[in-house]
This record gives sequence, C-alpha cells and structure tokens, in this order.
Amino acid sequence: MANMKLYSRNDRIFVIVNMVLIGIFTISTLYPFIYIASLSFSSGFEARAGNVILTPIETTLEAYKYILSERMFWVSYGNTFIYTIGGTIMSLLFLIPGAYALSRPQIYGRRFWNLLVAFTMWFNAGLIPFFLNMRDLGLLDSYFGIIIGFAVNGFNLILLRNFFEGVPSSFEEAARMDGANDFQVLVKVYMPLAKPAIATVALFCIVSRWNGFFWAMVLLQDEDKIPLQVFLRHTIVTLSDDQQFTATLVNASYSVETVSAAIIVCSIVPVLIIYPFIQKYFEKGILLGGVKE
Amino acid sequence: MSGVKLESIVKAYGAVQVVHGIDLEVKEKEFVVLVGPSGCGKSTTLRMVAGLEEISDGTLTIDGKVVNRIAPKDRDVAMVFQNYALYPHLDVAENIAFGLRIRKESKENIEKAIKDVAGILGLENYLERRPADLSGGQRQRVAMGRAIVRRPKVFLFDEPLSNLDAKLRTQMRAEIKRLHQRLGVTSIYVTHDQVEAMTLADRIVVMNDGRIEQVGSPMELFLNPVNAFVAGFLGAPPMNQIQAVISGGDAAPIAEFAGQQFTLPPLPGLQNAVGRKVIVGIRPEYATPQTKAVEGSVSCTLELVETLGSEALLHTTIGGEPFVIRTETLGNMDQLNAVNGFTADPALVKVFDAETGVALSGQLRVA
Amino acid sequence: MSDAVTPKPAVTPYVNKRPVSQRIVDHLKREWQIYLMLAPTVIWLLLFLYKPMYGLQIAFKDYSIFRGVAASPWIGFEHFETLFASEQFLRALKNTIYISMMSLIIGFPVPILLALMFNEILNQTFKKTAQTIVYLPHFISSVIIAGIVITAFSPSAGIVNTILSWLDVDPIYFLTKPEWFRPIFIGTTIWQEAGFQSIVFIAAISGVSPTLYESAVVDGASRWQMMWKITVPSIMPTIIIMLIIRIGNMLEVSFEMIILLYQPATYETADVVNTFIYRQGLQSGQYDFAAAAGLFNAVIAFVLVMTANSISKRYSRTSLW
Repeated sequence: MANMKLYSRNDRIFVIVNMVLIGIFTISTLYPFIYIASLSFSSGFEARAGNVILTPIETTLEAYKYILSERMFWVSYGNTFIYTIGGTIMSLLFLIPGAYALSRPQIYGRRFWNLLVAFTMWFNAGLIPFFLNMRDLGLLDSYFGIIIGFAVNGFNLILLRNFFEGVPSSFEEAARMDGANDFQVLVKVYMPLAKPAIATVALFCIVSRWNGFFWAMVLLQDEDKIPLQVFLRHTIVTLSDDQQFTATLVNASYSVETVSAAIIVCSIVPVLIIYPFIQKYFEKGILLGGVKE
Repeated sequence: MSGVKLESIVKAYGAVQVVHGIDLEVKEKEFVVLVGPSGCGKSTTLRMVAGLEEISDGTLTIDGKVVNRIAPKDRDVAMVFQNYALYPHLDVAENIAFGLRIRKESKENIEKAIKDVAGILGLENYLERRPADLSGGQRQRVAMGRAIVRRPKVFLFDEPLSNLDAKLRTQMRAEIKRLHQRLGVTSIYVTHDQVEAMTLADRIVVMNDGRIEQVGSPMELFLNPVNAFVAGFLGAPPMNQIQAVISGGDAAPIAEFAGQQFTLPPLPGLQNAVGRKVIVGIRPEYATPQTKAVEGSVSCTLELVETLGSEALLHTTIGGEPFVIRTETLGNMDQLNAVNGFTADPALVKVFDAETGVALSGQLRVA
Repeated sequence: MSDAVTPKPAVTPYVNKRPVSQRIVDHLKREWQIYLMLAPTVIWLLLFLYKPMYGLQIAFKDYSIFRGVAASPWIGFEHFETLFASEQFLRALKNTIYISMMSLIIGFPVPILLALMFNEILNQTFKKTAQTIVYLPHFISSVIIAGIVITAFSPSAGIVNTILSWLDVDPIYFLTKPEWFRPIFIGTTIWQEAGFQSIVFIAAISGVSPTLYESAVVDGASRWQMMWKITVPSIMPTIIIMLIIRIGNMLEVSFEMIILLYQPATYETADVVNTFIYRQGLQSGQYDFAAAAGLFNAVIAFVLVMTANSISKRYSRTSLW
C-alpha cells in the first residue's frame, strides 16, 4: 500500500480512527486475560472487595500455593497431558492413512467412501445415542474411551485429504517406479510433503483435546481420570457454593476468585506456549480445509 | 534382448476407448519417440509400458517377458516425468538414491552409484542441494540421474523437456541424445514437439487419436509420409497442403487449383483420373520462389516476409489459401519482397487422396 | 492447410473381456495396501458415528437399559407427542431459535468489519500484533472463557460491578437474571470467535488484485470509498458463502458454553434444545425421550445444512465439503 504521506487529510483521519478502533477491540480482547492474571496474584481480601482493576493488589502467591497443593490439580493436569498427547497421536494414526487412501483416485467406491465421511458432518446422531454407544462399547470411565472415541473428525480428515489430492500424482508414480509400496509412498514421500498440513491437523487436535471438557465430564465418573478442564469447572462452579470452603476463607489470603483465576492461568499457559506454532499453521489450515474447489 | 513389444494394446476407461490396439516393437538399444498432438494417447501408451496405467487388452512384453500384470517396480523400467517429481524434502544425492534405498541396496553400492551418476551428469557439486535450489536444467539432470542410477532395461521419458525454456531445451536434447549413445539403453520418449522427435529418434511413431499413423526413421517420415496427417505434423513450418482437382494429362498429370495448373509427378492413380480430388503437398523448403512467371510456375500473392537471418519465410496466399515458402535470404530483401510465384520439382511433391488423406504411392529416396 | 484427416474407423464402445470378478481380484492384489489404510478410519466411523445413528431408533421405543436398543418395544411417536406437549421443550426450541438468530444478526457482520478494518492498517507490526491477540480467545477452552465471565460478572468482586459501583449503581447478580443471560452469552461468543472468523475474510481481501486499488487511487478515490466500492464488492462471494454456511449451522448453538453459564434461575431464557437433551437424557436418564428431541434437532439441522450446501454449490460452483 501507498505511503501515508501521500494521503489526503480525510484519508489520514480515516486511517487513524480505524487504528484507534482496532486498538480498542484488541485491548478489550486482551484485558480479561490481564484482569484474570492480576486477580490470581492479588490477595483474597482485595479480590473479594473488587479492588483489582488492572494490576495485582497486595501481590501474593497464596492462590497458587493453594492450587499447587491440591492433589486433584496435579492429577487432572497429568490426565490432560495423557488425553492430549494420546488423543493427538491416535488421531494422526487414523487420519493420515485414511486421508491418503481417500485421496487416491484408483480406489473403488471413492465417492462412496468420501460420502461416508461427509455425511457425518451433515448428520449427527446426537448426544444420547453417542453416549449409549460408548457405554455399550464399555468405554465409560476409561482413558482409552476418551482417546479413541474422538479420534476421527470429518473436518480434519477432509483437510488432510484435500492436501494429499493437491500433491501432483507424479510423486506417487515416481516413487512407485522407484520400487516403493503404498506405505512407503505415504511415509517417505507424501508425509514429508504434507508436513504443513499434518502440523495444522496435529495442532487442531492438540487444542481441541486440551480444551475439551463436555464429553470428559459426561463419560468420566472416576475423579482420578478427569482432565484439567473438568476440574476447573468443578472449582469455579462448585467452590462458590461450597459453604465449607467459603468458611475457611475468612482470614485466608486467597479467595474463590483468586483460586479460580490461578487455575485459569495454569491452564492457559500451555496454550500460550504452543500458540506461535498454531498461528503459523492455522490460517493456512482453515483455508485448506474449508472450501474445496 | 531387452526390447519392448506392444501387441494390440488397448486402453479403455469404462466403455470409452482411448488407445485402439497398438502394435509396436522397440528393439534393444533403440531410441523410439512417440509423437502426436495432445490427447492422441501417446502418454497413456507410455504409462501402460511403465505400469502406471492398467492395460485393458493386448500383450506387453519387456525383455521377452509378458508384464501386463506386473507392478511397475518389478518391470525394471525407469521414467523421467514432465514435472520431474523430485522429492523436495530430499537433497540431490538422496533423490538419486531413493530407489536404491527402497530396494535395500548396500550402503557402499549406493555411495558408488550416486558418485557414478553424478559424474555422468555433472552433478558432483550439487549433491547436497535441495531441488528447490536448482535451476531447471539441473533438476532435469537429477530426474535423469534418478532414472539411470538403477540401470534399468528401459528408459521412459514423458515430455521431459517441456518445462524448460527454448535454449535449455535444445541443450538438454543434445544431452539426452549423448546419454543414450553412451549408455545404450532402450528408450521410449513421448513428446508433442516434432523437432525433439526428429532430432532424438532412431524411429518415430506418429500417433493420432489413439492409433499409430506411421512408424519410421525421421527422414523416412519426413520424405514419405503415408498420409496428410503425418505430412502436416512433421516439419516446421509444416508441409503446404493444397486442395486440387486432376484436370488432365496422360504422361504427367495436371492438378488444378485456384484457376491455376500444376504438373504432378506421374503417380499411379493420377492417369486418366480427371475430376479426382487430391491434396497437393509441397514442403516450404521445396518451393522455389519466383519473381516473374516462368515455365510451370504457380502464382501467389505475397503477404508477409519473416526474416530469420540466413533464411526467410514467405507467407503467401493462393486463391485465399495460405502457402508458405522457405528460402535463403542471401541479403537480397528486394528480391524477396517481389516474389509473386513459385516453382516446385514434381519429384519432391507429395499427393494425397482428398477423401482419405492417404498418400498416393511413390517413394522418395531417403537421403 | 488441409482439412482432410485420415478417416477414423467407427469407434465401438469398449467391452472388457476379463470377467468382473477377475478384475476385482487383480485390483485388490495391486491396491490392497490402500484399502488397509482406509480400513481403520471406516471402521471407526461405523463404530462411533454410524452405530449411534442406528441407536437413534430408541426415539421410537420404550428404551430400557437392560433390554438394549434392539429388544426394547416400539411405541411409535409417543415421545414426540410428549415432547411437543412439553412446555420446557417448546421453551428450549424458542430459545434456540432466538439465540441463534440474534447471534447471526449481531455476530455475522463483526468479523467482516474486523477484516475490513485490519486491511486499512498500514503499520504491519501493529496489525500482526492485533491479529495475534484477537485470534487468541478461539483457542481458549470454553470452561476458561466461562470462568472469566463468571469472575468478571460476579456480584461481589467482579470488575463489571466494580465499574457500576463507581456510577452508583447497585451490584447486579448478572448470571442469575434471565434478562441478562442472552446479551452476556451472545457477547461472549462474539468476543471469543469474531477475530478468528475474520481470517476467512482477510484471506479474501488479500486476494483482491492490487491493480484495482491503484487505478482507484489514480482516479482520486478516498480510502473510505475504496473500502466500500472495491473491497466489499470483491469479497461479496465470500461473504455470501459464509452467510450460507452460518445459516446452515445455525442450530449449533455452543451449548457447552451455555451449560457452563446457565443456572436454574436463567433456564427461562438460556435453556436450548441441546442443554434440554443433556439434562433430560444424561442427567435424568430419560434416554429415549431425550433421543427423540435430539433426532428432531438433527433432522432440522440436516435439512438446513443440505439446503445451504446446495445453494452455495449453485451460487459459487464450489462445494463446501
């Protein structure tokens, strides 16, 4: 775009107003996170009194001390790692070969197989039948159930398939002439070529696994298996109603608010760590998978 | 005898047949070029030889063995692709070695093979580069390296030069020819470019519409095309083809077009054939420009002179139909601009039946 | 030049002489590895997504856990009759439509405006930073977003009531007030998703040919005029497709967020079909009844999606999937 100096007066006003508006929107996005972070480092008393606005007041680590001494925090944090890593690996084990096979023009019934995938994106049996099915399969209250039960997802499958379809078929043919079988073609040629698409899908899986709470809440009864998000909900929703907990707070330097805020911070940090990677790939990924020519 | 033999090879997609029973024998060490317009089935034929397309019908023999149902990797053939299909995540050395690694060759053998191939193709200094960092010509060389490293019985080339600019194409063409002379491997080469076909081939196979029109050495095809299609396809600029009617002549038949008469060679079928419709084919090189009417000359209207340096193309029309003459300039532009007719040696003129396009027999000597 | 071409023998349709069974065997011999790669995904789909569709029949059955899906007796449309006689369900249906309509009307233009505004920012560092920040909430779990909302709107300590107290307004317990639920919910989802949804439009804008702007500059157009006369018309196809997709997915109210934010006091305005199903089915164990509500929801959603897909196909010759 042209240099600002070349702009007319009206254009300059327009550009500046626009920048201010975007700035406001950006700050309003960022502010709640800052607010929560400040809250988590403030004393319970100041937090309860509603004195925390921007920066921590009476800075203290008490809320974190409380959280980090909770056994359930560590258990659920560990579980989230198990679900995230296990679930992502499981997803890729299904998605990569599946998407590759769907992208091959030579398979019989290709339209049918693709329709089988697409239909699941249009029609969903719903919560109850899915839940009953998981129960019938004996996958309630199990790590494996959570990991396998959400392994395949139509959007990710089609995103990867579209990428594989975009690779010129001469790569497959060249590798075949060189003596590679289908698995070797996939592993030695197509997977390296599809690295950005695979990274995108892996990041989508990681984020949705890390954040997933609903099905974990429904399918897991055993407290020792719940992920962080379920524990977090538990804390936020139930602590404020928990008379016993509230009673212990009278003189404590932490409060429901600061404790909740501290868990939120602990749970966001891993997302923030991988966020730069996510950002690198997801724009491409959205456009790759959303609309197919 | 590591030749390739195609017997009544057919390719059909469902009920649609695209290759209609091809018979061709490629002899050991021979360089055969399949040439034809796009969609003529030449690439499909090549891909059937490679094993990348199923053969619908017929028998394909490589080195005396029927390979119809044998996977590409077990046919002992190698292919150079139009877009090279170099693996972007591997460096040059690993691209060349890919096939050997898949086949679990020993490390020492692979090392040695890479070295040999790099030496042959002048790639020694590029072995650690990725394809993205190579020029078009270098990529082309790597693609060939990947093919020759396995020492296959047959090389297949699928329009390997069409992604290069004109200058590089000429250079690589010569290189392919040299490579073939050096390695002497049976080669089948597909192109739509008749110049590549003429320069590279031991024998050319002209294809059209899923069928072979003619097979022969470049000069054979150039001088004695069996029909108007082959005549029009080979040679640049292509042969002039004039619709004409036989109007008499017992000893030497006369053709009439645009109100002019032209003496044809005494070919069978032209005697006492007044009224027969024919196509008179005159190569641009074999028409001698004239600036005034002479014995046997045909008059034409000069529209444009394209000077190519030592040569010039005279774009003329005869009765509205285009006619191109190729001649030497010798720096005499005034004379070129004054051209209003041409003569042609009847011995160098071809005549085709207007209905079928088939050449009336009469062989020209192959120079 | 000659028009005469070698006459072609009449082309007869090709008939493959190898028997079909033999051809299938050949095919499998050659391509079995591909099918082996496809198998796990297909089996997964059948086991986890198609088998529940078979299980949907409990919507027409008197389902009992002990008998199982197949052996439970058929009762026809009884559950549906109960459903449409149920005030709670009708309320949930009404809320679903209301919330999704409002989300669409208010929420759809925001990402477009954001994209247009981002496009007008000249300072690349500022632009990148702002984009990075506004995309972020999409990647944060709804539990955390709900946690932030609950904390921010809390009557005692929340920032919102703190600000209100400066204005001498008495603290409002927002999340227990039915009239406040929808604004808070819709506002939250827009806040969370608008930035992310703008990506598609930003991509569309970046595809507009720069020569259009250059010729407009030569013609003396202002930035404001260029935005409305060039950018907006150029991305109109994208806008329309995204609108169609949104309408197709309208019933997908993010019920996870509602579950986190609502409470019995706000059911009146907050309860949607999916939260109704969740309570009836998963919390109260009325599986068959809840499945009937789910089936109703799924069929409507299916019709909406298919209609949207076919319209967009006709409109853009681009299929969405």
